[in-house]
Amino acid sequence: MLSSLLRFGFRLFKNSEVKLHELNYLFWECTTRCNMNCLHCGSDCSSDSFYRDMPFEDFFKAIETIKNIPRNFTIVFTGGEALLRNDLEYCGRELRKRGFRWSIVSNGYLYDKQRHISLLNAGIGAITFSLDGLRESHNWLRNNKYSFDRVLSAIELAASSDRINLDIVTCVNQKNFNELGQIKELLISKNVKAWRLFTIIPIGRAVHHPELHLTDSQFVGLMDFIKENRKTGDIDVKFSCEGYVGKYEPFVRDSYFFCRAGINIGSVLIDGSISACPNIDRTFAQGNIYTDNFFEVWQNKFQPFRNREWTKTGQCKKCKDYNDCQGNGFHNWHGEKKNVLVCHNAKIMNSAKYELL
Amino acid sequence: MKVNWTRRILGGLSLTSALFIFQACYGTNKDYGLDLRVQGLVKSKTTGSPVKGIKVMAGDSIQYVITDENGTFDFYIAKADSLILSFKDTDTTQNGNYVAKDTVLKDLGESVYVTINLEDK
Repeated sequence: MLSSLLRFGFRLFKNSEVKLHELNYLFWECTTRCNMNCLHCGSDCSSDSFYRDMPFEDFFKAIETIKNIPRNFTIVFTGGEALLRNDLEYCGRELRKRGFRWSIVSNGYLYDKQRHISLLNAGIGAITFSLDGLRESHNWLRNNKYSFDRVLSAIELAASSDRINLDIVTCVNQKNFNELGQIKELLISKNVKAWRLFTIIPIGRAVHHPELHLTDSQFVGLMDFIKENRKTGDIDVKFSCEGYVGKYEPFVRDSYFFCRAGINIGSVLIDGSISACPNIDRTFAQGNIYTDNFFEVWQNKFQPFRNREWTKTGQCKKCKDYNDCQGNGFHNWHGEKKNVLVCHNAKIMNSAKYELL
Repeated sequence: MKVNWTRRILGGLSLTSALFIFQACYGTNKDYGLDLRVQGLVKSKTTGSPVKGIKVMAGDSIQYVITDENGTFDFYIAKADSLILSFKDTDTTQNGNYVAKDTVLKDLGESVYVTINLEDK
């Protein structure tokens, strides 16, 4: 009864958020250059990017159109590898001078003591690093034998500063699935307070590596791991916002699933496209900063993000959980968009069926 | 204002107020604004001219900045009620030769500006 009431309240809340669509979170894909060649990449980046880095002035002109900046508005520099930009500190300082707060997502490879100091000096407020396993499994996924040591050093540096809101993300796969407990202990030993766990969806380079994807029972194992470890309170572990997880919803995050892409989350992509999270199919772009007014696009377009009825197709069409899930995370719609790429809840239910057999 | 109340009431109804501070997939946590901007100018007490190349350090933090050709510095440090700023000439005689100095700043808000005069050695 209480659970039904909470879910009903949350649906009302989601509807209200869609109606308001306040822009709280903006990704800036400031480069698509990368210093790694990972087996999986949300942006399918490489070292020799087709695009030149977007000049800060172009990005800034776009965000200058934002009227009444919300109090908790954040700009997230992403890539590629954001630290490859030597003017990152300049960009950050300029944003701070104008009242914007900023943060970066990074693989940590270039994050040394000097960079740590210069980023702090420039007013950085939050960092996310990727740690995809213990040494062997992390270096395997990152395709670089030095990557583990470098990111661990980066984590130690960032965790030493109380004013940086640091969190670590781990893409869980066949190679690191059995290491989760050890990774947790490692992060705690490095004074990390927040840890988010992802799975990898079969897009881009990840399609060709079956070992990157969890079996249904492993996925349930991941949910159980998160559920159990959220009780201990020694680190804030959670499942990412990548998908709806049915009966695990109340236990693996701070709240129920809500994909805010295009509702509160926007992006300016490397070619000037205006969209939501950078790992979303690029055909969903709603405009371009070089031809459109960014804020007008944010206010008046984004219909596929704010009315997701079109996702009632394929296996979502008759799903009894649709009202809570609404087509899963938006990044699960690629290509012809006739069916959701991954249904996390189906994985859970399939696993339960196997157990009964 | 009305909008914020709507959000709060509905968020509270579903016990999800915490989600007003949310995080995107592959994005960072929120920046909670735990910093303070410190700007200033370093001058020679003798000549009144700006001094380049002075190392400015904040308390026992590992952070520091070096004054530029205009003698100015500008950096963000961890928020605090009071702060010891240290000024040290580390480039020997390249831009003059000055005595190190510490100064204590109190009742700090979101930002602070200081002017420091350094004595010649």
